[in-house]
Parts: sequence; C-alpha cells; structure tokens
Amino acid sequence: MSSTTAIRGARYWIRRLIQAVALFTIAEFSYYGIFRCPFAVPYVSCANCPVVQCPGKQLWLIVLLGILASGLLFGRAFCGYACPAGMLNELFSKVAVLRGKVRGKFAAVAGYGKYVAAAICAVLFFGMHNPRWAVPIRTGEFVNSTVLTFEHAFPLWLIRTSIVVGTLLLGLLIPYFFCRFLCPTGGVLEILGRFSPFKYRVADSCTDCGKCDRTCGLETRPERDNCTNCGECRSVCPVDAIHLGTAAKGRGPQSTA
Amino acid sequence: MSDDKKRLSRRKFMVGGGAALTTAFVPMGAHTAAAASQGTFAGGSLQVWSCGGLAEAFMPANAKFEQAMGGSISYTGAFAGALGKSLLGGSARTEVFAPRVLKLAQALKGQGKMLSFQPLCFTEYVLVTPKGNPAGIASIKDLKKDGVKTLCSPDSSPPGGAAAMGVLKKSGVVKEATANSIYLGSCVQHDVADVAAGKADAAVVERRITRLPRYREAFEVIPIPEEYFPAPPIPFTIGMMKWAENRDMAMAFIDFICGEEGQACFREAGFIPALSDEGRRLAEKYGVKDV
Ligand code: SF4
Ligand code: SF4
Ligand code: SF4
Repeated sequence: MSSTTAIRGARYWIRRLIQAVALFTIAEFSYYGIFRCPFAVPYVSCANCPVVQCPGKQLWLIVLLGILASGLLFGRAFCGYACPAGMLNELFSKVAVLRGKVRGKFAAVAGYGKYVAAAICAVLFFGMHNPRWAVPIRTGEFVNSTVLTFEHAFPLWLIRTSIVVGTLLLGLLIPYFFCRFLCPTGGVLEILGRFSPFKYRVADSCTDCGKCDRTCGLETRPERDNCTNCGECRSVCPVDAIHLGTAAKGRGPQSTA
Repeated sequence: MSDDKKRLSRRKFMVGGGAALTTAFVPMGAHTAAAASQGTFAGGSLQVWSCGGLAEAFMPANAKFEQAMGGSISYTGAFAGALGKSLLGGSARTEVFAPRVLKLAQALKGQGKMLSFQPLCFTEYVLVTPKGNPAGIASIKDLKKDGVKTLCSPDSSPPGGAAAMGVLKKSGVVKEATANSIYLGSCVQHDVADVAAGKADAAVVERRITRLPRYREAFEVIPIPEEYFPAPPIPFTIGMMKWAENRDMAMAFIDFICGEEGQACFREAGFIPALSDEGRRLAEKYGVKDV
C-alpha cells in the first residue's frame, strides 16, 4: 500500500470514527429536537425545557459551544463530521435520484433558504421568546411519546416538523436538500465558515476539471458554499490541488456558483 | 479510482451508520431490562400515565417501586387533558392513570375505563420573585402596584397557565398583572427563568416549579391564600384502568405510590401528599372520593 493511499484511508476512517462517536452521543438529542421538543426553535431552550428525559438538558450547552467553536475554526466541519441529520443526508445522497441535476442558478438562489431559516429562528428565539408549539410530553416511552406529541401538538409545530422531516426526506431525491437549502444551523455555520482559518482550499494548479464537485455529496468544491471540509474530494483531484490549511496556495479558476 | 472508492464508502458508511445508530439508541432500553430482573414482579411491566406536572415525583417513586418490587414501570407524563382526551375518546390505553382534575377521573370511571381511583396529592400556587425580592412584594395584591413587572404565561399547558391566570383573577389583580407582564409567555417552566434572572418582579406558579433542580434556590417564595386557588386543578388522583393486565402489580403500584415511601416523593416535588392531615382536609374540601 502506498503512503498516499494509507493517508487517504486514515482520513476516511478518522471521519467515520468521529461520525460514529457523534452519533452515539448526540443522535438521541437530535431526535428529541425534531420529534419531541415543544418549542418553535429546538435545541436552545433546553435548560428550562419541560421535557424531563431529553438528553439535551445535559448536552445543550456543550453541544452549542462545541458547534460555535468548530464553526469559528473549521467552518461547516460540524456538518461533515458530527451532525446526525447530516449523516442521514450523506446516506441518502448515495442513492439520491437527482444526483448532479440540481445545480447552477436554482441551487444558488435556493441556497439563501438556510439564511432565511436562520433569520426566522433568530426572530422566534430573541424576539418572540421561543414560543411553545407542542404539548410537552414531559417524559415517556420513546416511540409512544413521539406518537403522543404528534397527536397533541399545535398546528404550527406540525407544520414546522413536517417541513423538517419532508425536506430531510427530499434528500433521497436531491442530495443534501435540507443541508444545502434549509438548515438554519448550516446557514449560521456557512457565515462563520467565511472567516474560519482551517479549511480545505484549492491551489493554483487546479485545472477546473470538475471531478471534485462530481464527487462531493453536497455538489460543491472547497471554499465554496456548502463545503463541509469533509475532505472526500481530495482523493479524486488529479493534480493534487486540494489541501487542508490556513492559507491559500493561490487561486485556481474559481467562480462562486 | 474515484468510483471504486465511492462504492466502498457507500457500503462501509451504511453498515457503520446502521451499527452506530443502533448503539446510539441502546442505552434507552438497558435500564428497564436491569430493573425487571428481580423482586415480586420480576419480569412484569406496568404502563403508567400521569399528568406531566407530576413527572418529578413519579420518576423517583417509580424507581423505588422497581427496586423494591421488581418489574418495570413504563411511564409517560404529559398534559392530563390531552392524555385524558386520548383515553376518553381515542384509541389510547394505559394500565394506571394519575390525572389532574377530579372530573377527568370521574368521566373515565363513568365510561368504565377507570376501575377505581383515590386521592394522590394536591397542588398549591405561590408567588415567586427574584432572590432578594427587589420590588418588595409582600402579597399577591401587590401585583396591582404601579411599576411592578409581572410575568404571565397564559398559553402554557392548561391548566398550568390558565390556572395561574385564574389565581390572578380571583385575587382581583388579573387586569394589572396582564398589562404589566413583560411578555405573555407560552411555557411557565421556560418563562419563569426571566423572573429568576430579575427581568420580571413576580409570577404566579405552582409550588412544584420552585422544586425543580434548576429553580431550587432561584426565587423568594411567597404563599398565596388558598381562597384564591381555582378548584379544578388542585386535586390529583390515581386509578387502575380496565386495561391493566397484571392487576396485582397495578394495585401494588398504586398502594406504593399512596404509601409513605411514594408520598414522600410527592412532598419532595412540591405537592401536598394525600397521606397527610392537610391532604385529608383537602380531599374532604374538594370531594375527592370514588363514589
Ligand atoms: S446543514 Fe444542518 S442538518 Fe446538515 S449537517 Fe449541517 S447542521 Fe446538520
Ligand atoms: S480542485 Fe482538483 S478535482 Fe477540483 S476542479 Fe480543480 S483540479 Fe479538478
Ligand atoms: S467540497 Fe470536498 S471537503 Fe467540501 S464538502 Fe464537498 S467533498 Fe467535502
């Protein structure tokens, strides 16, 4: 085995390991956020949330601070390495029907959706005190409690949850639909990513062959919108123009799509 | 090369992802299996539903029952009105139910879905102010004073929000308290953090809120005279449902919850236990009898 192949293999397994650990630690919290959190904006009112059993009561601060720190340092790396919904999207993307079909202008305009979603969340949280849109099932059996939440939630909660679940499922059609076009966390991390020092970058030697964005599940390239710094594209670049670092090694023929 | 790599990633990721997903959810069942392995009801299980307000009392009480008697308690705590609606008109079933509001127990009994019930505990309402009581509130009447910032959460789960509003109404201060509310909230437990933080001067809450770990030392607590409490939300009952498969276990559970050890959990969580002089007086006052 050549040393380059070994490095690629190590990179691959390190990411999978981080994903497995993240899944073990925060998948249940993610589940509660989507399916049982009674608030308009989940994951942020955990300290005083009435849902006794939500693991978020212990995890919320460390998770939020962790996401913020990772965003400041590594842009959207949380998406590529730790977010359970991102992992679901990654799985879906492997079989997505419209792989490579939704790009260009439409994707660029739809990409603003995540910023709009982030702005709506900010208004709901800061301006409207994060209203409660579901009857909190304070504790209870895992599946039954979810069923009860759906049975007794207010229409706004049902709409919010249907949009999240629906757009997550749309990932089976259009790769990473939720992450690219709607996730408010992704929107905030995208903004932080603009200023984050550590990221995959493209050097001058890039020939614009497009292999990287054909490989990328999010249909992007390093340093462009939606790049999660996962590094999957690095191994397909024929001229080895993709590197991880704090400084650009000159720019290739990049245009923001 | 890239395509091979992609196929490899796909297979590995699906297998790895599935395994991790399974392990992520495994801890949730582990406790139940451990508890079920010894005691009188070893291997048995009982489904218990209660008003969500009682969750902090039921959880330790359930654990004590499991420890003493074996078996596992599968517990759900949620707004009793909603649970009651599913039980009364829907397809929901449970083996033991502890609702708030006497009429709900009576309605379930009337339908033959609850076999019998008994008083469980009673709630009471108090005024909370930030530590040090900066606005110098002495009684609920002071919520009328100019400049006192209140916090009302009328849209909180009924009867939580509605009951607190009922207390304000009976105290004759509802107009001013609502007008001076820093905002009209939708969740008492969440909103009351703004009282703890000093953004509001006072709020009416159930005493149980002041016993939540987060708020245990957060407030000054001022009693409100009982005459201002609206009657319906005060009593809680517990009863066996017709769907109880293991009636011995259901009865043993109810006896345990209404006995010394169980009732201590309710006192600790901020309720007045039925098994106390005060509890007996309130049972008499509110007519909590299974007749
Ligand atoms: S965009 Fe949102 S859902 Fe997707 S991986 Fe990032 S945080 Fe998770
Ligand atoms: S970075 Fe590499 S793979 Fe991507 S376009 Fe440039 S040369 Fe091609
Ligand atoms: S561009 Fe590369 S590093 Fe960025 S998300 Fe796509 S595959 Fe990962």
